[in-house]
Amino acid sequence: MPQATTKPQIHAPTQPEPSRKKNVVVRFLKQWDIQLMVWPGIILIFVFAYLPMYGVLTGFMDYKINTGARIFENNWVGFKHFSMFFNAPEFYTVMRNTIVISLLKFLIGFPAPIILALMLNEIRHMMFKRVVQTITYLPHFMSWVIVAGLVGSMLSTENGSINILLQKINLIDDPVNFMSMPEYFWSILISANVWKEIGFGSIVYLAAIAGVDQSMYEAADIDGASKFKQIYLITIPTIMPVIVIFMILAIGNLLSAGFEDILLLAENPVLRPVSDVIDTYVYRVGLSNFRYSYATAVGLFKAVISIGLLTMANYLARKSGNSLW
Amino acid sequence: MNKARRFSILLASVMLVLATVLAGCSSNTGKTTNQPATGQTEGNKTSDNKGNDEQTSTDGKWEFGSEPLEFSMYGHYSWYDVPAWDSTVAGRWLKDNKKLNIVPVSAGGNHEQKLSTMIASNDLPDVIWMDRGAEVERLRDMGMLVPFDDYLDKYPNLKTWMGKDLNMLRSEDGKLYQFPNWYTGRPNGNAGYVINKKIYEELGSPKLETTDDLYNYLVAVKAKYGNSVTPYEPHLAKDQQGLGVLYTAFGEDVLYSYLNAALRAIPKDGQLTSVFKDDTFREAQKYISKLYRERLISQDAFTQTIDQIEEKVMQGRVAVFASASPTVIAMNAHQEMVKKDPNSGYFMIWPIHKEGLDKNKIYPGTYTSLGWNVSVITTAAKDPEKIFAFLDWYTGPEGQSLLFFGPEGKNWKGFDADGYPNFTPEYDAEEVLQLQKDQDPIMWNGNTGYIDPAKMKYESTLPADKQNWAARYQSEITWKTQANATEFVNMDPAPDSDLGIIKQRIDDIFTQAYAESVMAKSDEDVDRILDKAEKDAEASGYSQLLEFRTEAWNRNKALLENK
Repeated sequence: MPQATTKPQIHAPTQPEPSRKKNVVVRFLKQWDIQLMVWPGIILIFVFAYLPMYGVLTGFMDYKINTGARIFENNWVGFKHFSMFFNAPEFYTVMRNTIVISLLKFLIGFPAPIILALMLNEIRHMMFKRVVQTITYLPHFMSWVIVAGLVGSMLSTENGSINILLQKINLIDDPVNFMSMPEYFWSILISANVWKEIGFGSIVYLAAIAGVDQSMYEAADIDGASKFKQIYLITIPTIMPVIVIFMILAIGNLLSAGFEDILLLAENPVLRPVSDVIDTYVYRVGLSNFRYSYATAVGLFKAVISIGLLTMANYLARKSGNSLW
Repeated sequence: MNKARRFSILLASVMLVLATVLAGCSSNTGKTTNQPATGQTEGNKTSDNKGNDEQTSTDGKWEFGSEPLEFSMYGHYSWYDVPAWDSTVAGRWLKDNKKLNIVPVSAGGNHEQKLSTMIASNDLPDVIWMDRGAEVERLRDMGMLVPFDDYLDKYPNLKTWMGKDLNMLRSEDGKLYQFPNWYTGRPNGNAGYVINKKIYEELGSPKLETTDDLYNYLVAVKAKYGNSVTPYEPHLAKDQQGLGVLYTAFGEDVLYSYLNAALRAIPKDGQLTSVFKDDTFREAQKYISKLYRERLISQDAFTQTIDQIEEKVMQGRVAVFASASPTVIAMNAHQEMVKKDPNSGYFMIWPIHKEGLDKNKIYPGTYTSLGWNVSVITTAAKDPEKIFAFLDWYTGPEGQSLLFFGPEGKNWKGFDADGYPNFTPEYDAEEVLQLQKDQDPIMWNGNTGYIDPAKMKYESTLPADKQNWAARYQSEITWKTQANATEFVNMDPAPDSDLGIIKQRIDDIFTQAYAESVMAKSDEDVDRILDKAEKDAEASGYSQLLEFRTEAWNRNKALLENK
């Protein structure tokens, strides 16, 4: 990353070059046992994350699958697949949905676990707190197939519990077809996401809150600060570094609007104008039709924008002193 | 102390590094050991082939069962895995008596990725069971399939039972690469309407022949049972199913297949035309959307799962159940329901038609003489001829009787003059039903033209109410009301070609417009949605696709007339 190189050196190079080089080697040898513990991870990342990356080249080729890993036997076609995507009639819908859904997920899904953690922190009854914590983080371990099935049968018009409830309390006369109405789709999707991930997401914030110095609260108590003031002026500022780091990571994921959840919740083709996002589009148009190069090009486009967003978020965060790098 | 700690850290690290290296290389080593292996098999294959040719030139054909045979098989479907060969009665029998072993290759629910990986790493299974069409052509194009032409005369079952229609399965190069499944020369299929007997009788058994009758009946169901019963259950509506069946009620000789992804067009005067502009289609969509609007069709039609449908039908909570194949679910439900109440259950009716049309020209379903899907033998197979010999035996009278009625001796013994099995007095209908259900996953090349009459030979000896539910309505109704759509096969362009991209867009436009028009708020709304779909489709190159398909259609007709 360019930022990394411009970052000021912590140890200014006061010694002449050769001895510094030697210094590095000596230092490395001195900590060989610690280095040994790092290298397996680095090798792992290199082998599984960096080596396969040459595959993105197929985005600039007409890739034929029987060439296997010998990708250079294919013809180079430059930006053909990229321009095909930009000119596709679905481009506008897909981009809009991707951005809207991921922004909604970010704006609602990101603060939700923080709020839950702050609320849980104020509970004094230990037993109750544990129970709530366990119940809220359990859905994280369910696969989307199960969650989508649950949501589907709850919102179904025939024997769906939500519709029965609404009918029993006389809010509606006839069951509402929630799963087939485009206007409800984003709400259903975001709610299901928040429900599934809120508890698990709050664990890290609870841990951060546990590390806050208790004497600060005592001092605030003596000064007469209310509970809300304490949360606002002590808890949140103290866990801010954690929040910022997670926010940068979330921003880097902005274009990943989700895949499984959307694919499984948007069964009805009527929903496509609001549900089609980059990943579902790649799956439907690219992979299901063997257009690997096209799928790669679209995926690469998404990755490039994501890196841009991540860099930007990190740049902004660096100003507050809590950046990733 | 410090040294001991350093040493233990060293030990731990070395183990971690080793684990990493092993993990990192495992796929690689897998590949590197595999590649020479496949290279070898390919080498073997050619030499074996030569050996075979010599052998065949001296001994003629290879007798299935004369030598042990083992090959690997893979089903190219997300919902299907080839079962363990020992897990079925037929599999065990073949292993013991014919020295045959089939090694399953699992798709693990992710068939597209699985096949792509196998192709890319040159690690193909010997036999692939898959859909006809573009994917088979893709494999053939890459030179990964074995042609059957040399074997056809030596092992004659396929040729005998399939007849000249076999030519429809030939690839561009004129060779045959696919072994069909459920191929037939006679009409078959199950599409139609299933009626809940108890509800029907409680409503006074009204006339149910025209679309108006159906509408009035559904209204009456809704009035009497409210939300506790679904008046019209169309199965998975996003695949048309029961709604596509209703479409056929609005025109004589109008086929369900017109709406299929493989066609998406209306034939008019030798030309394929846009489905969105078609009057019959629009009339049907208006009727369907009226039913949907008035909550006479399941409101979950587009989102429900098969499990939910099955549950409703099993509990008798649907009044009319229509689909491209309602028989399996309806038969199970019927059998369960009559156990509790002999007056309940389901029955099928003659297809609904619009007032004024000839009811004998209404076809809710179609069949093709090519059947459903195919088995292909890949170049990875060591002995393609032996595998073909097995497939041919399997599709013949012996193989089919084994799959449908169990090993010879118990339920049947020997064949009659027409080649159908002679059923014994010990024939156990329950056991046969169970066998057919258990062995369904290994029926890879079903011979419908043989097995349907064979089944009927037994059923016809029974009184109507004792007959198998499905068999009874198949012979009384559905087989008479399915149309032959063989001329509309093989009309897909290659998926990654320009036309393939157009087809993909048209499919997207159609599925969306179809669902929207069913859920439309008024008749005008239906027109508006379909007008817009027509415009979008035209802009995406629909006419090019129609032209391509018209040509393919004409080619098919020529092939079929030539026989």
